[in-house]
Amino acid sequence: MTIQLSTNGNIELVGSCTVDDAEFLLQALLTNPGITVDWSACESAHGAVIQVLLVAKTRPFGKPVDTFLRDKVGPWLGVAM
Amino acid sequence: MNEFIEQFIIECRDYIEQATSALQTLENYPDDAEALDALFRALHTLKGGAGIVDFAAMERALHAAESALGHARAGDRNVSTKLNADLLACLDLVVRWLDEMERTGELPERSDAQAEVLLHRLSEVARDAATAQHAAGRLSPAQGWLEGVLANHQDVGAYAQTAIRFIPKRDSFLRGEDPIALMGALPGLLALDLQPDGEWPALDVLDPYECILILLALTSASTRDVSTYLKNHVDECEIIELDSAAVTNVPGELPQSARDILEAQTALLNDVADEAFAGTITSVGMAAANVLVYCGHNSAAERITYASSQSLAEGTTRYLQEQLVQALRNPIVAEVSQSLPAAPARADIFARTLRVDAERVETLVRLIGEMTVVKNAIGHVVNLAHSEANPLATILKGHHGVLDRITGDVQRTVLGMRVLPLRTVLGRFGPVIRDMSANLGKPVKLAIEGDETEADKAIVEMLFEPLLHIVRNAMDHGIESPAIRALDNKPATASIVIRASRQSDRVFIEVSDDGGGINVARIREVALERGVVSSERLAELSEAEIIDLIFAPGFSTAAQVTELSGRGVGMDAVRMAVGRMGGMVAIESQSGQGTTVRFSLPFSVMMTHVMTVEAGGQTFGIPIDAVIETIRVPVNTIAEVGSAQVIVHRNRTLPVFDLTSLLQVQSLPGDDSEAVIVVAAFAGQWGGIRVERAGERMEVMLKPLEGLLSSIPGVTGTTIMGDGQVLLVLDLGEILL
Repeated sequence: MTIQLSTNGNIELVGSCTVDDAEFLLQALLTNPGITVDWSACESAHGAVIQVLLVAKTRPFGKPVDTFLRDKVGPWLGVAM
Repeated sequence: MNEFIEQFIIECRDYIEQATSALQTLENYPDDAEALDALFRALHTLKGGAGIVDFAAMERALHAAESALGHARAGDRNVSTKLNADLLACLDLVVRWLDEMERTGELPERSDAQAEVLLHRLSEVARDAATAQHAAGRLSPAQGWLEGVLANHQDVGAYAQTAIRFIPKRDSFLRGEDPIALMGALPGLLALDLQPDGEWPALDVLDPYECILILLALTSASTRDVSTYLKNHVDECEIIELDSAAVTNVPGELPQSARDILEAQTALLNDVADEAFAGTITSVGMAAANVLVYCGHNSAAERITYASSQSLAEGTTRYLQEQLVQALRNPIVAEVSQSLPAAPARADIFARTLRVDAERVETLVRLIGEMTVVKNAIGHVVNLAHSEANPLATILKGHHGVLDRITGDVQRTVLGMRVLPLRTVLGRFGPVIRDMSANLGKPVKLAIEGDETEADKAIVEMLFEPLLHIVRNAMDHGIESPAIRALDNKPATASIVIRASRQSDRVFIEVSDDGGGINVARIREVALERGVVSSERLAELSEAEIIDLIFAPGFSTAAQVTELSGRGVGMDAVRMAVGRMGGMVAIESQSGQGTTVRFSLPFSVMMTHVMTVEAGGQTFGIPIDAVIETIRVPVNTIAEVGSAQVIVHRNRTLPVFDLTSLLQVQSLPGDDSEAVIVVAAFAGQWGGIRVERAGERMEVMLKPLEGLLSSIPGVTGTTIMGDGQVLLVLDLGEILL
């Protein structure tokens, strides 16, 4: 799974998150209000996944591998560059 | 000349004729909405065709024509005299290119430069129209976006040449697109803003598959490069050329000193020793890019940088060399003084090529089908004559032999008229994969082998969607992101190979990718989750059988089903579409190595409408043309006359043939009080065929019986139904006569 609930209570985005992961992420955020999202192992994320993060106004922590995510998308999720 | 180009030229001439005629109407009635729409459609189709044959200059010219017309359409729906003249000039230029292509069989040499002159003319029209709209306050409501994005990114604003506002379609996620990745791969991207189209909704009412984003971007690439990149999203974006004062260096003609450096760098690539390959490519790429940035050609510099990484990845100097040559050309200056001729030079191609309406060929195929049935009926008569020792039997047999041969030849020739090379469909995948590759951020190289292989037009035409589905799957799920590929020591550029071949009367097509392969554990999970197979059955299946489950109905998810332009194509539909044509599809996958999907299809097919009937629990087809009606009659109304059976129906005495006894199949116990009879006519002879059940009507690809099978009495051909069953189609001539 590219989106998983980790043992320390975070949602982790791992590898390439596809459009199909958006639904799972949305459900995970809805059922665990206030949960933290860790995207440090995220290599790429489909626009639908980023859209869920934008709507959830959640600020992911960690620095993703992908520079586009880190530098161009991150600031819109409240992540400092 | 390559048949693909030949076909392209023929089709283009038709669309040019349509566009010219629409322009003539618009000249007299500038606000004729129907003519305007027809013109738009013709230009759009021509542009699409140019994209398919990779004729970039023509694509650009038509894109500009389409945009100029788009402005007119969005405005007062009035085509000005100047726009009319410019569009005619564009069509004239295309005609000249087509003439040249017809003469040489190649894409025209100076087309790039000629397109530039035209682009210049058309962009003036577009600018005028935009200014007029702006003055009239008709431009879209978000006027403030440009100021907003420039204010947000003052640090990079000075380097930006182009600003883009991209409002993706709401269903773009479902259509397999990723607007954020698309903008992320925009040439020269400097800044990106992500905004909601309206207000951000609450999380609990968000539909994760609906795209509600607006993307704003600033890039250092030229408006032209951005327009080319976003050519498939013209109606979703607004592209604005920024004031040249905002740009640090205004690109112009390259100074001699810069040309000298670029030429020296190009020369370095002529003879690169293996051990110095990486070093030379890197240094040449960097030096050339620096020179171009210095001269203000930022997008050319980016292309050089990208080309050098491509050259490094694939171990060839070709990409870098091509971009250096491109950068050294200065097409606008060379061609700007040339004016376009007033009248198109039309070559008389119609004398050499006879265009026949496809419908007529279909009629011919149908008639040949009927002729074959009559020929078979005569064969039956010959056998009768022979068994009754009729003195004419030998002569009849000889003539029947000749008729048999000629009918066979005619059938092959007519089916040959419908034969097309597979390149007409495979050639469409180049642009498709390029776009998907850019959308998904996965560099992919496509290789097509054996595209000269021929198959029936019906087969070629049905192939695109199933193949597109397979290619999409490979791009979406099979091929890994460059980061993952790097971890697995795979080249960053993935590869997709489409291979076609013909063996005897079958055509084989393979689509292979070198991606991660199918995740068998995941298939197992999904199959169980969606109830495709029981857990007991699953435990018995081999790995290959588990992979095959992706073709099972119900396996594809809703998201996948809507991917293909909402046509509802899952892998089960792929197998069914191929099955309907008498073909098969199989899949093979190795974890970490990739996946291969194999299609096996018949070479020739005939389309026939049949009605299915059942006898002895088996299903047979009856050609629908012969069926008059289906009736239910009490069994006691069937009278015995000698050894035959008859019924009286609509004041007509009809012989009744029982299909179970005719075909010598075991009849099933059923309702004995009523009989189902299909009333049919053949060559003026009426008769009733008693069946156990009458079924549905369907259009099938009829495969004529060949070789030993052709001697089966009462059967004219076979077809494979959607569920994979073979359907024998009955020859009513032999049954009724």
